[in-house]
Amino acid sequence: MGYMKIFNVALGLTLMVTGVGASCVFASDPPPEGETGSVAVRLFLTEGAVPADDPNAAVWNTIEPAEFKLAPQVHWPDRIQEVTVKSVKVRGVHNGEDMAILLEYADPSEDAADAAAVEFMVGDKMAHFAHGQEMLQVEGGDVNIWYWKKEHGKATDMTAKGFKTIRPQENQNVSATGAWQDGTWRVVFSRPLQTGDDLDVQVTPGEWRNVAFAFWDGEIVDGDVKEKGSQKAVSSWWYLRAEPPPDNSIYGYVVLGIVLAAGFEFFLVRKIRRGNES
Amino acid sequence: MKGPLAKTAILLVGMYVFLKFILPLFTAPLPASLIFLYLALTFASAMIFYTMSGGSLDEFMGPVGRFLTGSGQVGIAGTARILVFVLFPLLVGWQTYTRLAPSDMPPAENRTIHPAPPGEFVGLANPYPRTPENIMMGKGLYAAFCSPCHGANFDGKGPAAVGFNPPPANFSDPGTIAQLQESYLFWRIKKGGVGLPVEAMPWKSAMPRWEVELPDEWIWKIIMGEYDGAGQSPRTWEEEE
Repeated sequence: MGYMKIFNVALGLTLMVTGVGASCVFASDPPPEGETGSVAVRLFLTEGAVPADDPNAAVWNTIEPAEFKLAPQVHWPDRIQEVTVKSVKVRGVHNGEDMAILLEYADPSEDAADAAAVEFMVGDKMAHFAHGQEMLQVEGGDVNIWYWKKEHGKATDMTAKGFKTIRPQENQNVSATGAWQDGTWRVVFSRPLQTGDDLDVQVTPGEWRNVAFAFWDGEIVDGDVKEKGSQKAVSSWWYLRAEPPPDNSIYGYVVLGIVLAAGFEFFLVRKIRRGNES
Repeated sequence: MKGPLAKTAILLVGMYVFLKFILPLFTAPLPASLIFLYLALTFASAMIFYTMSGGSLDEFMGPVGRFLTGSGQVGIAGTARILVFVLFPLLVGWQTYTRLAPSDMPPAENRTIHPAPPGEFVGLANPYPRTPENIMMGKGLYAAFCSPCHGANFDGKGPAAVGFNPPPANFSDPGTIAQLQESYLFWRIKKGGVGLPVEAMPWKSAMPRWEVELPDEWIWKIIMGEYDGAGQSPRTWEEEE
């Protein structure tokens, strides 16, 4: 065999061995640590209208929820050491135009001051999860907060960037409906994926967004509301993504890969045979 | 099985077993990417070694050529050859699919847990003496302000800790305050999560900026109480020399 031919065979073999080796070696890596709970909300792609005003729509029961643990708000005063709502189950759907997010959580009593909120980072700048509070070494961005309160019976679309800056937006484009039954609140928020408002989170299918949640138990204890203002149950930042439409072109690339690999084998064998004959 | 090809295969398997199973008995396990790099280097070395002369080259490549062309192969070898030819394109197809398939996993986050402190916080000494009274006061302040998250047992398991990501630091873990100087803790308590640099992802931290609420004296005493309660000592320059 000539050197050139040897080299070609060697190259082919190296590619094969490294390919198989890499598959075996990398497949044995353990999964990332600490992923016991959910890390992301997935907005499933559906056809037709999203269940925008119906917390009990049948479609919700077909969706696997993400679940996030909640903590008392301790970041700034007034703090709270214990909260009623300990965790939240989150489900989401979108149809390419509109989205709906269902929050389901346990709260033993239905009260006028019960409230729930969803918070998003807006734009490219990272924002602190506590109302986009000022960071000392990083320039932060705005947060967009969707707030629902039982006694208001609707959602308020708000913006914040730091302490005491939270304010309702001029363009209100979020709606919310809550239903309490047997110690469980189901609150559905809905909005178009895109609003054209710079103060709103813009949800693009396939792209990740940062999301956080907050809840207030409005029960009256000793003449006062139990949880209000900064006294609330909060989550950290997690992720949300609207499912992109299926991309079938990927199967074309898979077939192309198989054809190329088979062709490579064919020419490799032919080359060696010719080398042996000569 | 005495040919150079078999020797290379044995060498690679031996290397893998050594790196993956034997080495971790003495040191931290190697990441898969590093093991792969070492195996690739081993393979490349073997290739260079056997391609040094024409004779060893033929010896090395001969079995490969015979296997691939199928000359004189019957029985198991023949079946194996067909299997390889069928599996290789399928493997390429599978690799293509896994590379292109949309991932349901959010972007990976590499958060630096102990980033470098700002210059003005480097090397500060605790101005308060380590008296039993000061330590006692520090523990009292810790119980009031820190324990809801960092835990009465200094283990990061306070009642308010569940639900925060990242979780509150566990001071009894030798990887936290035992690795740090008192001045570092002073910075982290005073400026809180929002004082962190970008690589530590300050937007995720629930740690309050305590300078707004607590005087420096309390912070220094809290540090004292924290080390004492967690059974750790601050890292000092003397120990590093």
